[in-house]
Amino acid sequence: MVQTTVTPITDYRFGFSKPENYVFKAKKGLNSMVVEEISAHKNEPEWMREFRLRALSIFYSKKLPTWGGDLTTINFDNIYYYIKPTEKKAKSWADLPAEIRDTYDRIGIPEAEKKYLGGVSAQYESEVVYKSIQSTLSKKGVIFLDMDSGLKQYPDLVREYFGKIIPPADNKFSALNSAVWSGGSFIYVPPGVHVELPLQAYFRINAANMGQFERTLIIADEGSYVHYVEGCTAPIYTTDSLHSAVVEIYVKKGARVRYTTIQNWSTNTYNLVTKRMRVEEEAFGEWIDGNIGSKLTMKYPSVYLMGKGARGEVLSVAYAGAGQHQDAGGKAIHFAPYTTSKITSKSVSCAGGRTSYRGLIQVLPSAKGAKTKVVCDALLIDDASRSDTYPTMDIRLNDVSIEHEATVSKIGDEQLFYLQSRGIKKADAEAMIVNGFIEPIVKELPLEYAVELNRLIQLEMEGSVG
Amino acid sequence: MKSNSSFKIKNLSVDLGKKQILKDITLEVQVGKLHALMGPNGSGKSTLGQTLMGNPNYEIKNKNANIKIDGKNLTNLKSDDRARLGLFLAFQNPISIPGVNVANLLKTAVNLIKKKSKQQNVWEFNKLLVSKAKLLGIKQEFLSRSLNEEFSGGEKKKLEMLQAVVICPKFAIFDEIDTGLDIDALKVVARGLSQMKKQGTGILLITHYQRILRFVKPDFVHILVDGRIVESDGYKLAQTVEKNGYKKWVKIIRE
Repeated sequence: MVQTTVTPITDYRFGFSKPENYVFKAKKGLNSMVVEEISAHKNEPEWMREFRLRALSIFYSKKLPTWGGDLTTINFDNIYYYIKPTEKKAKSWADLPAEIRDTYDRIGIPEAEKKYLGGVSAQYESEVVYKSIQSTLSKKGVIFLDMDSGLKQYPDLVREYFGKIIPPADNKFSALNSAVWSGGSFIYVPPGVHVELPLQAYFRINAANMGQFERTLIIADEGSYVHYVEGCTAPIYTTDSLHSAVVEIYVKKGARVRYTTIQNWSTNTYNLVTKRMRVEEEAFGEWIDGNIGSKLTMKYPSVYLMGKGARGEVLSVAYAGAGQHQDAGGKAIHFAPYTTSKITSKSVSCAGGRTSYRGLIQVLPSAKGAKTKVVCDALLIDDASRSDTYPTMDIRLNDVSIEHEATVSKIGDEQLFYLQSRGIKKADAEAMIVNGFIEPIVKELPLEYAVELNRLIQLEMEGSVG
Repeated sequence: MKSNSSFKIKNLSVDLGKKQILKDITLEVQVGKLHALMGPNGSGKSTLGQTLMGNPNYEIKNKNANIKIDGKNLTNLKSDDRARLGLFLAFQNPISIPGVNVANLLKTAVNLIKKKSKQQNVWEFNKLLVSKAKLLGIKQEFLSRSLNEEFSGGEKKKLEMLQAVVICPKFAIFDEIDTGLDIDALKVVARGLSQMKKQGTGILLITHYQRILRFVKPDFVHILVDGRIVESDGYKLAQTVEKNGYKKWVKIIRE
């Protein structure tokens, strides 16, 4: 069982003072001073400050990846790496871009929710919901906090796990996140505890859940179960142009974790995320990943199957409209015997959008009896759109079962005609077909997300289809 | 339904690509009447059904052709508009649409086609759907499956029939609904047709064999050979086909 008493923090930052109501905004651009300021402002233990600084030099030493989307237009010097959340929200409802206000209206989001999402109001029922959930959770010994608070209240626990699955050196963007991370969730579930209610980032009071450099750490102890849901279907307005998160998840023996994301960042954003689950013996890790927004998303949720009989699954749905590139997929690495993995990817491209499935299945010689299946289907709505598939299979032994299916299709004229003959207008028929196409994944989403996602895609298509 | 309501096809000639398939078809179906259209393979039977419903691949050749329901000309209307005017087509080879649920499709269709006053709420609709499915011998689990996905030929035909009885259109075209059905399914489908006829639907039943006509008697029988209606009469014409096939008319065309 986890200690619920707060262990005293013995390492203090020295030299910086932290007034209570200080509105803090680091200067633009990235350098060690900015990183120091972030750590100091958060009053972090020494080891975290050093972790950040080491990560920064790793970031400098790494080159931009040349595969995936085009990252050359990111101007790292023109970004604020730490802003107190209230600073980057819109000042008033009227300040939000018209398309965003419009989408909220058309999706039918209630008034209070609109203001919260628009960042105009920090006050929302979520605070009440959060508090009541907290009391239920703490009775079971479950910890659910934002990452900053997690580090403060459980520094030893965090230190044991933080940055171990995704070390700063993993890639340039995990290095960046490791240097400037802020916000994200910290969850610990004790052995045998099943958290029935999906935990949502939404519930957390502060707006750091919409942060640029979120860092999430989830530890599901043996035999436990938790479902975490992040993001939301409504377009997130942010002045940030770069969103680079890291999510590390430990799924211990016999445990199960499902992590659901629906991402709809505004179309000026680069969304570059590293997500990885370490799945132990007889445990089950699932990623459900929905990508609708952003200018460019590069995201490949992975499962590392470390223990005998471990299972991993990735369900990915992506929609790319005009000017968007969704480069997504998944990775499964089989280290242990009798492990199973399944990656299902459904992508839809419309109005010149581009989707790419990028996946890796690796079966090491120690993974006898491994089973893996990849299904990647792409739907092209019109001639301007594009879809690519980059599947990699690195299989290093014979006693395995591998399946790979890939389809690319257009909306069939016959299907359209059939639906129209039932009185359905062409645009609605197209939306029906698209919704039917992504249905196997959407049916795994919590109901309100599924409904919103379907409507959102319908709206997106309405905007671009003639 | 209005008793003088009619579905009129006049001088319809249709091309598929460069080939002329239908030649000067003229036909009128009144409400509550069942017209059987019979013909050998390649006579253009399917083309007629598809054209009437508005398949964009088929080009109506002559400008004076018209297709009218209650005096309204359909020739320039899209398929969904035609459906909303009361036309229905049961397809010969129904396509499958993954992820589109049978029950939901029907609920959507009914809401679009039926007048607001005649619409039912979800519970009533589901009750209706389940009872009609039962009458047609369709297992209830089919209603929650994806449309036509992994359905046998016979199951697809029965599902077309289910849609017809639920939507209950003014005029319905059945394109070879009997093909691929065993005798029991045939009788059930024929019962569905009789019921629709009784309720006032005007039916154009396109078929190759006259077998189904033993179970639902047509008011008129037309013979389609090489894209042309070569003869029209009552039920006895169908019996002639049963005895002698289409030889008589094919020979005439060839000479």
